[in-house]
Amino acid sequence: MPIISPAAFAPPPPRLAPALREQVRRLERAHSTQRAGRSAVPLGLAEIDAVLPDGGLLTGALHEIEAGPTPSGRVAPHDGAALGFAATMLGRFTPGTILWCRQPSLGGDAIPYAPALAAWFDPARLLMVTVRREEDLFWAMEEGLRTPGIAAVLGETRAADPTAGRRLSLAAEKNGVPALLLRPQPAPPQSVCTTRWRVASAPSYGAARWQIELRRNRFGTPSSEEMPSWLVEWNDETHHLAVVPQARPGSTGTYWTERLAG
Amino acid sequence: MRLADARALVPDLVTTAVEPEADRKLIEGVAGWCDRYTPWVAIDPLGAALAEEGAAQVCSAGGFGGDAGLLLDVTGCGHLYGRDDTGERALMADLVQRLARHDFTCRAAMADTAGAAWALARYGEKQADLFCPRNGQRDALASLPVDGLRLDPPILETFLKLGLRRIGDLYPLPRAPLSRRFGDQPLLRLDQALGRVDEPIEPRRTPPAFRSRISFAEPIGRPEDIAAATSRLLAALCSQFEKASVGARKLEISLYRVDGSVDRTAIGTSRPNRDNPKLMKLFGEKLGELDPGFGVELMILSAPEVEEWTGAQDHLPETGTPAKSSWHEDGTIDLADRLALRLGAENVVRLAPHDSHLPDRVQGHVSLATPVPEGAWARLASMKGTRPTRLLQRPEQVNVTALLPDDPPRQFQWHRHTHRIVKVEGPERIADEWWRPRPSGKVMPANIVPPARDYYRVEDDDGGRFWLFRDGSLNSAKWYLHGFCA
Repeated sequence: MPIISPAAFAPPPPRLAPALREQVRRLERAHSTQRAGRSAVPLGLAEIDAVLPDGGLLTGALHEIEAGPTPSGRVAPHDGAALGFAATMLGRFTPGTILWCRQPSLGGDAIPYAPALAAWFDPARLLMVTVRREEDLFWAMEEGLRTPGIAAVLGETRAADPTAGRRLSLAAEKNGVPALLLRPQPAPPQSVCTTRWRVASAPSYGAARWQIELRRNRFGTPSSEEMPSWLVEWNDETHHLAVVPQARPGSTGTYWTERLAG
Repeated sequence: MRLADARALVPDLVTTAVEPEADRKLIEGVAGWCDRYTPWVAIDPLGAALAEEGAAQVCSAGGFGGDAGLLLDVTGCGHLYGRDDTGERALMADLVQRLARHDFTCRAAMADTAGAAWALARYGEKQADLFCPRNGQRDALASLPVDGLRLDPPILETFLKLGLRRIGDLYPLPRAPLSRRFGDQPLLRLDQALGRVDEPIEPRRTPPAFRSRISFAEPIGRPEDIAAATSRLLAALCSQFEKASVGARKLEISLYRVDGSVDRTAIGTSRPNRDNPKLMKLFGEKLGELDPGFGVELMILSAPEVEEWTGAQDHLPETGTPAKSSWHEDGTIDLADRLALRLGAENVVRLAPHDSHLPDRVQGHVSLATPVPEGAWARLASMKGTRPTRLLQRPEQVNVTALLPDDPPRQFQWHRHTHRIVKVEGPERIADEWWRPRPSGKVMPANIVPPARDYYRVEDDDGGRFWLFRDGSLNSAKWYLHGFCA
């Protein structure tokens, strides 16, 4: 009978972790090249595209966007910034209809507002679907993924159903249509999404700013950081989106406290 | 007479409570069952009117309980049962026989006019007389009591006092004095019964222009059989559509079960459709919900809503530029139909810009087949200021602190949290649309200045961006949160 040393259950030595991670990534990439009809659409931000697989967002994959906590660590009061980032993504997938499925929240429901969305894509392309139950939402999204002529499918939900997530991911992969999940609050990471983004509104400096964190990047290029993060500036007059180069996460907060104190 | 008095006279009197609601449901059920003979079925309007007057009168007048009537317009339906007269007679006999099988006692009469049939069904004596031959209503009605004319009780009473007991007694009377003394009703009813004046009858359900039916020698019940029958009906209906160059917007399938009940389900499409496989696919999801019960003896597929067929024109570009992939060409419209079928048509919409200044009115919903001009939204967005990415459907009142009433807000409370405002953009004044009627239906008088809204885009110390507005005059201003910005 083999004797298992207690050390076998101890966490691996820290220096092994990056090597293992690299190995896992290689395996995942090998899997990804086997997929048929795979292509990527650049997000238009060179810094972010550089770490994404094939230099952009994979069509035929599930992407999750969640509204992150505010710079001071509170739960975000709303997901306006996350919605803006999701709309940026949707704007890249052309041409065709965008299926937008949402489950209205009880009391004080805030609808996506087309005059603002027009900055990213033509809202005439939207097919708006309101559902009452969670399972209807996932069903409608899957139906959309299977339909030719649909450019992208977005679902707004609080639900985190691992089975539904896997089904969406498979349907997206099979049909080459991107599926997006927009969450008003962070959900436990359990679905098999290709990328997961956490977007929070950051103090603006003229134009609106978003703090974007890439929390999961399957098939992607490993970056120096475990969870790369960018501060992005969105100018809603010129419709210009750019990464703020010198900003480091955390530095902006101090900037504003100083300003307010002074 | 009171119930107590009646019981004193007849100690073993059987009593039953009046249930007008249950009676109504039953008669509606029978009316639905009668759709198998003709789509044009109406519940006797006179009986319904009496029933509405209250339970007490229902008892005395019979109402639905004893006097309930159904009117069937079987014009052109008799040929299914035989030629000319024989077909119509056979139809009537079949109706009575089938109802008897379900333990209904009924009297049926058939005549050219609804009034004559009404009188014959209630007051006709000999069974052979209940079928009134073409243009024979004058003779058939002559010997019936005047009660058969559907007159108001006071008029009826006077007629009886005057000795006018038979309908035939009215024939020789001069018309002018009759109408002077009794009003228009007696003559109108007489003319309607004799067919001199048309009597419009409103059917219970609007009869569809297109329908096809299939009846089974043996009742069927397996889902596969029902699906096969549906596809045969659909093929028949689609060829009808092609001849009339229309397409269906709504289709309804009715299952007539052996126990006399009817189960129905409907599908809707967002544009006229006569594509057999596509419609069958839509039905495929609905047929499972149908309950065949102990067996189905008759199925009817009808198209309550049809529209002119426009399919061939979808590919024609409206302008000189080649048409882009429209909603009709790609699968979107079919997807929308499938979604609408399960989620309800009002939950699957397109967004179209409305010509309005008010932020809540700008975003409108249109049906899926309505084209939204390309770039209409972009044009609209370019004319307005910065707008939030999310708009609260109902603005939420918030407590705002401002230095002076006229000043921009300094902080606001929302969801039990105080947001300190560090940046403000605004105000953007959006005036009320005074030219639109108020909810009360009145246009605002010209001398009153309608309340305007002052919108501010604010940012709190945590980076959150909100859209607030101040409503009303400066003295009694209220603040509302209306949206969330990117």
